[in-house]
Amino acid sequence: MPNFMKSSLTRISWMTRLTFLEAIRQRFFAFLILLSAALVLSSVSFRFLDFGHGELKFVCDFGFGGMFLFGSVLAVVMSAQLFFAEMDNRTALTLLAKPVSRTEFLVGKFIGVWLVLGVFIFTLSTLLGIILWARCQELTATAIEVGKAPPELSITGLLSYTGMQWARLGVVAAMILMVASLARTFLFTVIVGSMLVVAGQLQWLAQETLLKPGELNFFSKALLSISTYIIPNLQQFNIGDALTLDHGSVADGAVTLALFSGTCYIVVFLFIGSLIFRQREI
Amino acid sequence: MNTGPAITVNGLTKDFRIGLRGLKLRAVDNVSFEIPRGQVFGLLGPNGCGKSTTLKIILGLVSPTAGKVSILGFPFATTAARSRTGFLPEAPYFHKFLTGRELVAYCARLSGVKPESVNHAVEEALVLTAMTEAADRTIGTYSKGMLQRIGLAQAIVHDPELVILDEPTAGVDPVGSAAIGQMIKSMKSKGKTIVLCSHLLGQVEQVCDRIAIMDRGKLVLEGRVDDVLTRRDQNIITVENLTPDARRAAEEVLAQHGAKITSITHPRRSLDDLFRELVTGSRDA
Repeated sequence: MPNFMKSSLTRISWMTRLTFLEAIRQRFFAFLILLSAALVLSSVSFRFLDFGHGELKFVCDFGFGGMFLFGSVLAVVMSAQLFFAEMDNRTALTLLAKPVSRTEFLVGKFIGVWLVLGVFIFTLSTLLGIILWARCQELTATAIEVGKAPPELSITGLLSYTGMQWARLGVVAAMILMVASLARTFLFTVIVGSMLVVAGQLQWLAQETLLKPGELNFFSKALLSISTYIIPNLQQFNIGDALTLDHGSVADGAVTLALFSGTCYIVVFLFIGSLIFRQREI
Repeated sequence: MNTGPAITVNGLTKDFRIGLRGLKLRAVDNVSFEIPRGQVFGLLGPNGCGKSTTLKIILGLVSPTAGKVSILGFPFATTAARSRTGFLPEAPYFHKFLTGRELVAYCARLSGVKPESVNHAVEEALVLTAMTEAADRTIGTYSKGMLQRIGLAQAIVHDPELVILDEPTAGVDPVGSAAIGQMIKSMKSKGKTIVLCSHLLGQVEQVCDRIAIMDRGKLVLEGRVDDVLTRRDQNIITVENLTPDARRAAEEVLAQHGAKITSITHPRRSLDDLFRELVTGSRDA
């Protein structure tokens, strides 16, 4: 590896460490992880509803809902907060006066935030996995006793879903850092970022509308087409039920395609973000 | 080794846009100066005169509207130039959860110090800034003076050729200020070039080789400290036991040569000297 690349990776890794340490200490992170864990654990108390196969789906929906909702909130708020903390507290002044490029600064911030989001998502996923596995054992024993088919649970599927959620949160974090590099305030970043996340979740509607023939004029069609490229389709990462409880219903290559698309969006958002950030006066 | 100036600023101008209508505020107005290597250069001026903006442009943190800057032979503050430069910002703020030692080590790694040399470099910087004892405390517990000293340590840990200090003595007591003055002299003796922004004019006078004074974005004076401060048309003679007769005799002799005594006063020591004489150590160590 060339020396300049090695030095650059070293600087990025140190920026990442600092961001990770700062993020993991935040009360907001602790609060959200406790709240989400409580939500996942509380799903067990709905056992009395006894839905059979449906019970696992209920627990899954509870857990996935917590990971999705609180993960999104954490990705938006933490990315913006960590970026603006450096700007407002003027620690960025000290860091960027060192041989750290703006791109290295932004990439280091992104990886640091993404690692924290990884801790969040994998912790919740582990909790959910334990709950699902334990309940699946009980339901399987009951099903065998009464001569029914045992419920299906794929831990590998749950892991795939966790990876996909982590990728989705990576796309959100990169998108927020791109907005932050342009924005002047934390509040503006959070509001615009949240709107983009909602737009990303609903992007599939634009795709569906485009597929219906003759419903749109040329201008609307062009506008929708452009929006489907600019705004990532975040809904494609939400196939947790299918992956965990009905693995066969997931189309071949869907996971790979979603991860590839997520990676491309992360790279593009960080690239645009660093171009904007280079012009920013510290 | 490159022997050209450490910093060359030529026709530097910076306009900030204010408000939605994009009104311009000229923060730096056609400023030019050179800082020779190995010297201590004082950049002075009232608050808001454009000193910090000039320093930020030199460091590449702000882009100029017009003009050119070269730093250590590089046409602008490239990564290579910044790896040979140390910077202590005004009122420095660091991540409070790090200890002083962690911060300095972290800055060493960011500045390109090799992993095997980090511990030695950190120790050296902590000793030079007298921060060894407090190095393992978190930065959140530091006093203002200690923050400035740890800021100085992070600025010099990679042994830079050029050190830029923006108000290093702000909020520091006279003993701490004197210690920082000593550190600057010590760095100068090692051949470093130092740019010092400060409101402590007495200290600037003591440690700087050259000064520049800015006012309302413009450079109003630049030159060697001795040249700009010495009044060549007057002399001071310090005399012990001057009796009235001796004074009259001296006046007569001087008059024969066309010279005249304009004032006779008792020498005073500065308040700064008196304070440092009475107060032996800083309380924040």
